[in-house]
Amino acid sequence: MNEKDIKFIGKITAGVTHELNNVLASIREISGLMTDILSITDEKSFPRKEKFQTSLGKIQNQVQRGVKLTSQLNKFSHLTDNYKNDIDLNELLEHLIFLTERFARIKNVALQNQSINQTITINTDPLRLQMALFNCISYLLNQTVIGGEISISPEKKGKECLVSITYKGEGINKLSIFKDSTSSDELLSLKSTMENLNGVYELDASNTAVIIKIQSNK
Amino acid sequence: MDNIHVLIVDDEEDLAKTIAERLEIRGIHTQTASDGDKALNLIKSQPPDVVVLDLMMPGIGGLGILKQINLLENKIPVILLTGYGSRERSIEGMNLGAFDYVLKPCNLDDLIIKIQEAIKIK
Repeated sequence: MNEKDIKFIGKITAGVTHELNNVLASIREISGLMTDILSITDEKSFPRKEKFQTSLGKIQNQVQRGVKLTSQLNKFSHLTDNYKNDIDLNELLEHLIFLTERFARIKNVALQNQSINQTITINTDPLRLQMALFNCISYLLNQTVIGGEISISPEKKGKECLVSITYKGEGINKLSIFKDSTSSDELLSLKSTMENLNGVYELDASNTAVIIKIQSNK
Repeated sequence: MDNIHVLIVDDEEDLAKTIAERLEIRGIHTQTASDGDKALNLIKSQPPDVVVLDLMMPGIGGLGILKQINLLENKIPVILLTGYGSRERSIEGMNLGAFDYVLKPCNLDDLIIKIQEAIKIK
């Protein structure tokens, strides 16, 4: 896919999430109006009032969930806006974890952002960086039988930026983890993505980790 | 809040009318408009105390309506309703003199607080 294709996908996704947000806003207000009316309605004149109030509360909770999901998807779609950008790495990792949590949950794996308080700013392609980090997590998840934790730790060393994605737990056999690494789809994709980012990745079998290294340009 | 009149402008008619009904329950008088022409006609014929204005609308859009409101002799405070990807437009709106902005979907209590604050400053 070229830059124009990627921007096209981003633009369409951003537009749809905007419309979805309007749908959610309408549902929220309509259920809010129903709650308002119920609250000024006599108990005797409205059988099962409490049941309706509870159900309206559940609708509101689901709307909140939908708003968070569409908001994050909209944010993701805007990664395609600029080929290169100044990125707050900690913020990008938070976003990554939100987007990846579902895949980890299926394997009963917890994702932990180990970002330090220090702000790390890098100038790079945000979409490809997300893709590279996603491939690292995907690779470890595919190696995992079930359970454990994947921690993501950013670090700045001079002009270089490192992100370590480390698996902790009993779900991966450390001896076999990187045995078929050269034929892994995730690592093949990671390799080409890292080339585009002018970076590299390393496998650390003893620590069950994938480490990516890129220039911060900041 | 009996004497407060608010105009809600949003091309999402269901949303505008429902917010209006909820404000009415709380004693705030409301009108709604779904486009710029209707909104400007209402503003001229029955000036509200506050305008709640969606930014992303067809036609002249929220910012276009805001510019027209700014040309009126009697200043009317405007609270912008903004969605995703409207951050730059929100900033532009604030630079054009909007009183404040709220994110969609907005919390009604927060909106009422902003309406009251806008009236105080007016």
